[in-house]
Amino acid sequence: MNTQEALEKAEAILKDLALSFTCPEENRLDAVIKADDLKKAVEALLVTNRWGYLSALTGLDNPEYEVDEDTREKVAVEGKGSLEVLYHFAAGAAITTLRVSLPYDAAEIDSICDLVPAATLYEREAMELFGICFKGTPSTEHLVLPDCWPNGVYPLRKTFKGLNEKAQG
Amino acid sequence: MPRQKSERFIVPIGPQHPALKEPGHFEFTVEGEVVTNATARLGFVHRGMEKGAESRTWTQDLYLMERVCGICSHVHSMAFVLGVEKLANVQAPPRAQAIRELVAELERIHSHILWLGVAAHEGGFDTLFMFSWRDRETVMDLLETISGNRVNYSANVLGGVKVDINERQKDELLRGMDFLEERTRHYLKVVTEDDTFLGRTRNIGVMTFEEATRLGAIGPTGRASGLLRDVRMDSPYAGYPDFPIQIVTAKAGDLEARFVVRIKELFESYRLVREIVEKIPSGDLTTKIPRRIPEGETVSRVEAPRGELFYYIKSNGTDRPERVKVRTPSLCNCASVLTTAIGHKLADMPMILAGIDPCFSCNDRMVVLNGPAGQSLWDWEKLRQYGIEYYKK
Repeated sequence: MNTQEALEKAEAILKDLALSFTCPEENRLDAVIKADDLKKAVEALLVTNRWGYLSALTGLDNPEYEVDEDTREKVAVEGKGSLEVLYHFAAGAAITTLRVSLPYDAAEIDSICDLVPAATLYEREAMELFGICFKGTPSTEHLVLPDCWPNGVYPLRKTFKGLNEKAQG
Repeated sequence: MPRQKSERFIVPIGPQHPALKEPGHFEFTVEGEVVTNATARLGFVHRGMEKGAESRTWTQDLYLMERVCGICSHVHSMAFVLGVEKLANVQAPPRAQAIRELVAELERIHSHILWLGVAAHEGGFDTLFMFSWRDRETVMDLLETISGNRVNYSANVLGGVKVDINERQKDELLRGMDFLEERTRHYLKVVTEDDTFLGRTRNIGVMTFEEATRLGAIGPTGRASGLLRDVRMDSPYAGYPDFPIQIVTAKAGDLEARFVVRIKELFESYRLVREIVEKIPSGDLTTKIPRRIPEGETVSRVEAPRGELFYYIKSNGTDRPERVKVRTPSLCNCASVLTTAIGHKLADMPMILAGIDPCFSCNDRMVVLNGPAGQSLWDWEKLRQYGIEYYKK
């Protein structure tokens, strides 16, 4: 199966679930998925059709920016914009990415650990660095941040500029 | 005597060097001698590099990313430059691509021999440890001859490489490969024939092909279970389209197979180094790359000594990246080892942990210095002062 065929196959598998498809590069297919359909999409790809393996899980923060008048720098506005979770699947050179957009006030998504046990570490990472809640994930303990890290502070969000005294309590 | 009711104990291993000389914390639940559950806690050397990358320029990030890991520094910078070059639509010259591959293979040689020594040490075979580390010096010297450094070679720049190889270095490389090949042949014999050592490796930590597939094992750990997965072959990058590799796999999936796969990969690396030295294309080392990288996102994958290294890079059109995501091979393999550990004796744990060649500083990328009272965040100046005061005493 060459790269092009693999991507066509992935597109056929996800046809009914994806909201839209894009091909950002010749070996990549991006499929935008609703949060509720994520598990179905992962099951269709990995379990039913055995298309590749879960290569990585990327968290993204896409806030709205406004320009600070004093410093002329772009500053992320608290609460506006959205979080995004990218599930990258690889088969040979082909990469299919499931993109799920999540609002800040309901950053919840189903855990895929029952389908892909190896996802537990990726989910723990995204959980503590981005504050995304994975429903049903087997472990919610800290993975990389220290035990004394304050609750509700997510370092990879764009609004995070370092810990201040208040956050440390 | 009445049999005692089995009781569960939790045995913590780490954070101080559970297997390698790096911090990671594992908790094994044991019933008697047998492990029934295993969990991991990483992050003891977390340095916040993904966050740090967002506030530095593309060029500064190259140096930052090279420092994600001390053992496989070159592959990190390679994944980064290849991704950035893709975003900027720039192609490094063929000679640069060949040198990138050359340094990557030398790095693989040093990393695999390093692992061989550590794993032998964990198995109580210190003679093998000492011999293999002595021989590893050969490749360390070669890397130093080429780049000036034993680690963090800094061979890559955006748009090419900054080191070249001359005729004298070519001779040294060939001589080094001859010596190492002879030694490696001996090590292959030792790890497959020494009875005592086989007692520690044969049929231990078995991961079947199905398990490896399900758990998403990668790199030599996956290939030892028969998984045909190698980014160098699946999606050739840098010089690999011109100097392709032969994939090495084994079927057994036990620790012995992981030794055999890594050692056979060494032969493959020696062959590649020789081939590149003989047929390296002539030409420029660098090409121009803009300071601001066009908007876009890309996925860059390379085969690190431990398996697939995954970079996701997003640019917002400025001179700084919007997001750099690093997923290191050890994170994948960590998940697989936690599962394979179950059912084995506690005494086998160090070997099973070492078997995946874990690299914790790759995984962890940030440090927060909290005092015991848990309130002070140290800035660089305070840390520097502390260092000066500490060593004055």
